[in-house]
Amino acid sequence: MPPSIHPVDLILALRDKHLTPAIVFLTSRRACDEAMQAFDHSQVLLPPIRQQAIAAVLEKVIVQYPSIAEHPLIPTVQRIGVAAHHAGHLPSWKIAVEELMRHGCLDAVFATTTLAAGVDFPARTVIITQSSIRKSRDFTDLTIGEVQQIAGRAGRRGKDLVGFAIVTPSPYIDLNVLTKGFTGHPEAINSQFLISYPMVLNLLKAHPLDQIQPILAKSFAQFQLNQRAEVLERKLDGLREQMEPFGPRVCTDWITEWQTFDQVRRQKSHRAPARKHEPPEITARFHFLTPGRVVGIGRSRGVVLRQYRSKGQKSPMITALRQGGGITESPASTVTEVSDRVLDCVDAPVYPWCTPESVEELLRHLEELPGRLPELPILIPKEDEPIPDAIVQTLGDFACPTCPSRSACQRDYPHASKLRQEQQRHLKSIQALRTSLWHRFQGKIDVLQEFGYLTPTAHLTDDGEWARLIRIDHSLLITELIRAEAFNGADPAMLAAVMSSIAHDDDRPGAFPRVSSGLGSLLGQVRKLALSLSPHEDPPLLRADIAAVTERWIGDPSLTWIGLCKSTTMAEGDIYRLLARTLEFLSQLHTLKATHPGLADTASRAIANLRRGVLEELP
Amino acid sequence: MTTQELEQLLAQQPIALLHRLARGRVQRHFRAGKRRLIEILLRHSAENRAGFESDLMILIGERPPLPIPPAPQAPAARKPKPSTPQHRAIHRPAEQDSHEPAITLSSWLDGLGVPPPKPFVTDAWQEDAIAKLREGDVVVSVPTGSGKTYVAVEAARRAIAENRTVIYTSPLKALSNTKYTEFSKIFGADQVGILTGDRRDNGQAPLLIMTTEILRNLLYDAGGGEIDIRLDTLGLVILDESQYIADPERGVVWEETIIFCPGQARLLLLSASIGNPHDIAEWLTSIRPTPCHLVRHSTRTVPLRAGYLHPNGKLMPLFRTVGIPHGHPSHLHPEAKRLFTQYEDETLPTGRRR
Ligand SMILES: Nc1ncnc2c1ncn2[C@@H]1O[C@H](COP(=O)(O)OP(=O)(O)OP(=O)(O)O)[C@@H](O)[C@H]1O
Ligand SMILES: [Mg+2]
Repeated sequence: MPPSIHPVDLILALRDKHLTPAIVFLTSRRACDEAMQAFDHSQVLLPPIRQQAIAAVLEKVIVQYPSIAEHPLIPTVQRIGVAAHHAGHLPSWKIAVEELMRHGCLDAVFATTTLAAGVDFPARTVIITQSSIRKSRDFTDLTIGEVQQIAGRAGRRGKDLVGFAIVTPSPYIDLNVLTKGFTGHPEAINSQFLISYPMVLNLLKAHPLDQIQPILAKSFAQFQLNQRAEVLERKLDGLREQMEPFGPRVCTDWITEWQTFDQVRRQKSHRAPARKHEPPEITARFHFLTPGRVVGIGRSRGVVLRQYRSKGQKSPMITALRQGGGITESPASTVTEVSDRVLDCVDAPVYPWCTPESVEELLRHLEELPGRLPELPILIPKEDEPIPDAIVQTLGDFACPTCPSRSACQRDYPHASKLRQEQQRHLKSIQALRTSLWHRFQGKIDVLQEFGYLTPTAHLTDDGEWARLIRIDHSLLITELIRAEAFNGADPAMLAAVMSSIAHDDDRPGAFPRVSSGLGSLLGQVRKLALSLSPHEDPPLLRADIAAVTERWIGDPSLTWIGLCKSTTMAEGDIYRLLARTLEFLSQLHTLKATHPGLADTASRAIANLRRGVLEELP
Repeated sequence: MTTQELEQLLAQQPIALLHRLARGRVQRHFRAGKRRLIEILLRHSAENRAGFESDLMILIGERPPLPIPPAPQAPAARKPKPSTPQHRAIHRPAEQDSHEPAITLSSWLDGLGVPPPKPFVTDAWQEDAIAKLREGDVVVSVPTGSGKTYVAVEAARRAIAENRTVIYTSPLKALSNTKYTEFSKIFGADQVGILTGDRRDNGQAPLLIMTTEILRNLLYDAGGGEIDIRLDTLGLVILDESQYIADPERGVVWEETIIFCPGQARLLLLSASIGNPHDIAEWLTSIRPTPCHLVRHSTRTVPLRAGYLHPNGKLMPLFRTVGIPHGHPSHLHPEAKRLFTQYEDETLPTGRRR
């Protein structure tokens, strides 16, 4: 049995049951392209009338988007009435496929699930071949909402009486995720309120500091935090009721009084308090020293392969893969730094505790990591604080031993103190829920003050006035580069190239042209600055090969799109997206014309060069 | 339990359960087929066998009972499963339909086809959304393909007729371009403009299309004192696909846009089905000058059926019922279930494909 149905058989089966047109969602672009290739050797041919209909629609699209006139997929699409639609294609080609689909010219489109939201065309049938989706480097199960978005493409209003969502298995499928998705209610959605530097600058431009908190309070984030706080407040009300019988007794705060008394009493009875042989910070850290965690050991760096406790002393130990390839066993106490980075590793039950491929992979990642990594914030629980000697000596001063409510206190203390602890925990959480946005905002203010974009009274400095116009990712790096005059003397091609290496966040490898030496040294400078800013802003990938693609396109106006595509292994659609993102970044630099006329001018010349051929077709 | 017994028990479980068991134990477990997953799990169980077995028993206990064919009950003879709460086995009324014979392929396919042409009649929810926009903001949360665009178009038409500017935003440039073409056909090319970072095509038109980021930037510029676009005549802001507010990276842009949207403009949020649209509506009501009205429904206009296509080309219904059994994910068609289990057993680890 093949692990999944052959694309040609799939389409034939669908045609046979009148289930076309269909959208077939596949796991990857490659799967889509391979499906298309599978038809090249098949005898599935469209009748001439349908071939002509396709040609007629394409002709109209080509008038508007001449770049696809020579598209290599046109003959296949026309012959078999099936097309692929994914992010590796040019937008104009995707528009052509959508147009064909709207006219009912195609039997099927092979698309990737990643773009389910961007696929704005329905069909009679949707084919689902997977239950998880790649999201930033890892696969996660589809949510109910996502399954319904995908399946929901089936059934066109006015053209279908019913729609069909058909699951066909592939090796990684989990049917339960899909059946739950079909039959369940979509999940509630949650706010994802990221506070960015440009947000802080723009808010402070328009409003004085003391008005910021009420503005943040208007966010959906705060609305949802308040909902959680209200739940806790209701719990608090309940606790308050339960606490009623434990109100003031002979002393107003009998719980604390009894607690201190009780502790002192116990401490006296055990002369030597039990010593924990393990400092709490080691215990707290040990939880995080799991396979794949990047740590600092002494002065070098390593990746944890496993954690265990030593046989005799039961002391916490780790096995780590060190820079250079050594594998060492070290006590957890020698770990000097726990980073927030966890690398993928496939663990194995015997030494070296992960697969040999993993070791290689880990080593490679280890070498590629930036010099500084953000540290994982680890909360260290406080050790039971010893009672100050002064109190111990005053045991005789406690009223408890002779107090009339002593037995009641002794009886009630465990329950009452638990209630009170819970109360205090809730109070703390509520406090945190109410103020967390503001604290995060203040954190950003601190950084902007440190760098001189804000005055100590949180007004915009001269630099802040223009920096607020840069409202893209990595804004701090870009504004710092401008302040360091890094772009002085850079030509449009170099400026655009640097912007594209900042904008590009895909680490898919490929073969690319080389950078010019001028660009190479400029990128070196950018990289250094990006690393120094890493405590405040995640550094971008800054790939030189990506920069080179942009440099060629801008630097050589006679270069054709085909010529550019040939110089790299990047897919057409990816090059397009790279340049479109670069355009966005450049257009932000262009808004600085009042304060940085030279830079703005270089940016606008770069934009003019960039917007040609394919890149001119769409707004 | 011997290792062999454990292996057998694991093999009897559906792969989803094995994945749940593997969570936190095995990295990248979702990549493994059933056989391979069992192998890996067995190896891992050596470390903490007792813990592993008890987790397995808990997971097995949690599973809803398989639909049992109607047969005279003989409870005494049945071996109780460990930690299976007894009440789970109690016959629930909802289980009723699973006792009916599962449907056939032909009745599942029955009804397929093209409806006779009908004059366009607006749906009640569409009317409702358009009418409520007169009184305040509106949040629409309906299934994919219901006809949200119609609401956007009609609302825009009314606002334009009152000499107001309308801004329509979508999360993706590709969608903006599609809508630009679509709206230009409906309203006429001179009535529609599109704004991107560096280009402004027909920027004076009454209906402007842009991505949500561009609108957010316009609103910031207005806040900073530079009035760029005619925000004072802005009458309506339409945020399409507004479930993007939950996007980890870009979601905040929707919040900023909504917070800074001028009070005199109405907000129309169009969203696919989400679990808590009332939260969004309540939030808008709490921060906007006019109360927000929620329009939601979850029935699809074109009914949906789910099927299963075996790699050998055999097609069958996925569920026992013609339609989708909402709330009953386990009401699988027995044939689909059998073949899928078989598929899981047969998909060998990569490299050993037959
Ligand atoms: N009242 C109606 N009667 C018949 N057909 C309608 C009606 N309203 C909309 N339609 C049609 O339904 C189809 C889907 O509409 P539309 O694209 O607006 O859906 P949507 O809700 O925006 O879906 P999506 O979630 O994909 O964005 C369109 O072809 C539209 O013409
Ligand atoms: Mg829509």
